[in-house]
Amino acid sequence: MEDFKFLFKVVLVGNAGVGKTCLVRRFTQGLFPPGQGATIGVDFMIKTVEVDNEKVKLQIWDTAGQERFRSITQSYYRSAHALILVYDISCQPTFDCLPDWLREIEEYASSKVLRVLVGNKIDREDREIPTVVGEDFAARHNMYFLETSAKEAENVERLFMKIAEDLMQQARSKDLPRYDSNTTNISGRTSAVSDNSCCSKLA
Amino acid sequence: MEDDTKTRFAEKHQDLQQELDKLKSQEEELFKEMQSFITQKSHVDAKIKTLGKIVPTLKNLKLEAQTLVNTIHDIAESSETISNKVRNLDRARSRVEECQQRVGDLIDLELCSQGVQTAILNEDYEKGAGHVHRFLSMDQSLLQRTATDVENISSVLKAVRTLQDAASQLRTIVQHKFDEAVKMEDLGSVERFFKIFPLLGMHDEGITKFCNYLCGKLEETAQKNLHTALNTSLSDKRYNVIYADTLTLLFEGLARIIDIHQPLVETYYGPGRLLSAVSLLQKECDKQVKRIIIEFNKHRQVNKKINQITEIGKMSNSSSFSKIEKFDPKEVDILIQEITIMHVRVELYIKFIRRKVLGDIEISTAVAEERIKSIAALDKLINSSDLSRSKHELLSHYLQLEQYFMEESVSKAVSMDTPDNSQHTSSMVDDTFFIIRKCIRRAISSGSLDGICAIINNACGVLENDFCAILRGRLRQGYPSGYLDLTQAYNVLQTSIQQGRLQPGDTEQIRTAFIIALNNADASTEYVETLCDSVLYDVQQAIPNMNTNERGKLESCLSGLSSVITNLRDVIEYGMQQLRASAIKPRISPWVDSFLNINHQLSEDELSEYEAGESFVQTLIMNLDSLLSSFKESLTSSNYDGLVKMLTTEVTARLEKVILKSTFNRLGGLVLDKEVRALASYLTTTTTWSVRDKFARVTQIATILNLERVSEISDYYGNEGSLTWRLSPPEIRTIMGLRSDFKSDDVRRLKL
Ligand SMILES: Nc1nc2c(ncn2[C@@H]2O[C@H](COP(=O)(O)OP(=O)(O)O)[C@@H](O)[C@H]2O)c(=O)[nH]1
Ligand SMILES: [Mg+2]
Repeated sequence: MEDFKFLFKVVLVGNAGVGKTCLVRRFTQGLFPPGQGATIGVDFMIKTVEVDNEKVKLQIWDTAGQERFRSITQSYYRSAHALILVYDISCQPTFDCLPDWLREIEEYASSKVLRVLVGNKIDREDREIPTVVGEDFAARHNMYFLETSAKEAENVERLFMKIAEDLMQQARSKDLPRYDSNTTNISGRTSAVSDNSCCSKLA
Repeated sequence: MEDDTKTRFAEKHQDLQQELDKLKSQEEELFKEMQSFITQKSHVDAKIKTLGKIVPTLKNLKLEAQTLVNTIHDIAESSETISNKVRNLDRARSRVEECQQRVGDLIDLELCSQGVQTAILNEDYEKGAGHVHRFLSMDQSLLQRTATDVENISSVLKAVRTLQDAASQLRTIVQHKFDEAVKMEDLGSVERFFKIFPLLGMHDEGITKFCNYLCGKLEETAQKNLHTALNTSLSDKRYNVIYADTLTLLFEGLARIIDIHQPLVETYYGPGRLLSAVSLLQKECDKQVKRIIIEFNKHRQVNKKINQITEIGKMSNSSSFSKIEKFDPKEVDILIQEITIMHVRVELYIKFIRRKVLGDIEISTAVAEERIKSIAALDKLINSSDLSRSKHELLSHYLQLEQYFMEESVSKAVSMDTPDNSQHTSSMVDDTFFIIRKCIRRAISSGSLDGICAIINNACGVLENDFCAILRGRLRQGYPSGYLDLTQAYNVLQTSIQQGRLQPGDTEQIRTAFIIALNNADASTEYVETLCDSVLYDVQQAIPNMNTNERGKLESCLSGLSSVITNLRDVIEYGMQQLRASAIKPRISPWVDSFLNINHQLSEDELSEYEAGESFVQTLIMNLDSLLSSFKESLTSSNYDGLVKMLTTEVTARLEKVILKSTFNRLGGLVLDKEVRALASYLTTTTTWSVRDKFARVTQIATILNLERVSEISDYYGNEGSLTWRLSPPEIRTIMGLRSDFKSDDVRRLKL
């Protein structure tokens, strides 16, 4: 088996162009990609981090923002452990769409999912959404809030590490591991690193 | 005084004599020398004579040396001149060549200018264009300079002008002729003039005009095909896939065009032109695809169905059980089939273009940077095309319809559930997995990995949320165990009837439903495992060149199916707990408790009497056997094993309890040990796995109670390789205390 104890699925959503792909690339590859095309469907990336000396594998799903990919991206909500909802602080419409995104999350995601609101592109001079407005929205909807810049690598590491730490704490406190011989499932349907899954023979 | 003088004189004389001798010998020597000089004189004279003769020769020598130096100097100078001359010669030769070229050009210019007009007049445009091509291949600025160098300026300039005129004339003619050929649908002439364009330096115009022509042809055919499609009668075999057929015809036509004309373009226009040709054709392709899809959406009522599905989704979410107009999943089944064909056709066509253009880029550009740029341009062309957008929309529609089909079909399978007598299960399991498999296979046939992954995700949702929930719901109703739990059974029945789940019937029916649900959950775990394997295999067949990232994506989605297995195991565990509470525990307890009514302090006589009659364990085994056999036939083997496991846990735990409430003497302990062994070996025969472990504590208790003396415990306790004790030292002491014949002091003194 691979040497990680926890596996968490993190899904990024939000309007096209807010910088989801850049955030993921910044975190997983440490770079700011120049002029890549819009994401088609979903992209899949993996990064293993360490929290309290434990290896935590983050499976990051970067989704396309456009309507026509919605039925693909929606199918990933159900099994997500964390959802990152991203808007662009220099683009009001991307903020205005947040309630629509929340409705979708409400409809398809698990109620236990960790929800994070991210205002990206804080390096830009032409800010349209003041920090407090974002903070306020996040507070009203019970979300963790962070402002980032994928370009300047600001708060990106912190965003994902915070998620890893929170999910780990959740997995440890809420649902203590069940010592079932069949599965090392840690929190019900979540964070399963199943060692006798029918798919382990793929690896 | 005299003496003195005498002496002095003598001395003087002596001195003088000596002096004289000296002089004499000197004279002699001088004489000898003179003699020698005299003899040498002739020799010296001869020498002097010879020397006198040499002097003029030396003078000559000096002169000659001087001349030599001068000569060498001259040679150096002249060789320098020669190499200059050679250089000049080279220059001259290249000038001559250049001149020859210019003369050649001039001659050709003359010939071309003479020929071009004749060619044009004779409508031999290939020849005319050939002349122009020759003219265009000349260095035009050089031509101008030549003109000024040559005496006959006007003739050269005239020729140039003639050819320039001819070129523009030909350009017009060829464009015109091409357009005319297009109008006349004269394919031969179209191709003829298409080949002439590059000779006139009109590569881009040629490609554009030709592609426009091809687009026109394409449009014509596409319109015809669409018209035919729209007029297809309902009874036609292809009616249900007629739009997929039409789309296929379009792509086949396009692919044929590209296949036929690519060599033509490459021969006459050179490699590296395919991307611009394809982007021109793509515009027409986009236009035609759009038309077909508009008609498809209209006639198949795609949007109406999608809207209906969305509405139904909203309604069921708001949990108002109002009757929404649902439609039969079969109705969308056919439509889904057609959409997947359409989607895979688009996918294949895009792959085809990519392959073709990449090949052309490969042979035409050697510079890596250029190549990357060209490939980026190709990707942009594809990704920003309406074709790609249509593909995404088809996939989106497909996913929504498939999701509806899957959910509705599964719910139908559940509602039409009928027990399958031979299999211990009911039809909903077979049916559900048939549907799920069908949906996933259909997704695979669409050719989109994102689509496949989405359907797998959705299938996990349906299985976990709907399917498992239904099984769990049926198990929640419990297993009424008949005469002992009449009230409970009654309650279950009542609620079931109230909820409309069950018709009033006998307990037997509820029991069967329970057992079947338990078996269904077990059978489903195997189905899911098989599904996982077969899907992976099928996807690898359908998309053979997945990269590691794509594989990771697929594997991650497939691992979602394994959490369905975890879910199913939870359901089974829940069912077992239900069974334990209602059917096992209430029955077993009184059977085991009868142990308390038996005397365990036996005399020899009592022992033989007990063994002659029906012993406790015989009765217990008989009861357990009849209880188990009532389940053996109806449970799947894995569930039956689970039941035995659970029953064994119950029996041993209960037995331990009643033993601790009894007192034994030596013979009583002996009997107990025998009985525990008998019970263990009976239960071992009922199942495929070992029950020894579950019996460990009770067996050890019996061993202690069967000891001859207190001290005998040391045979079993404390030495290496003895029993692995499941009992703690305080427990061992307690159990020893149950033996009435063991002194409590002895027990207390034991070192454990
Ligand atoms: N200034 C600035 N631009 C960004 C930042 N993140 C992304 N962008 C730009 O925003 C555009 C869209 O980014 P992308 O990651 O593709 O957005 P996505 O559609 O949400 O995945 C690109 O042109 C990026 O260069 C950021 O932090 N600062
Ligand atoms: Mg993106």
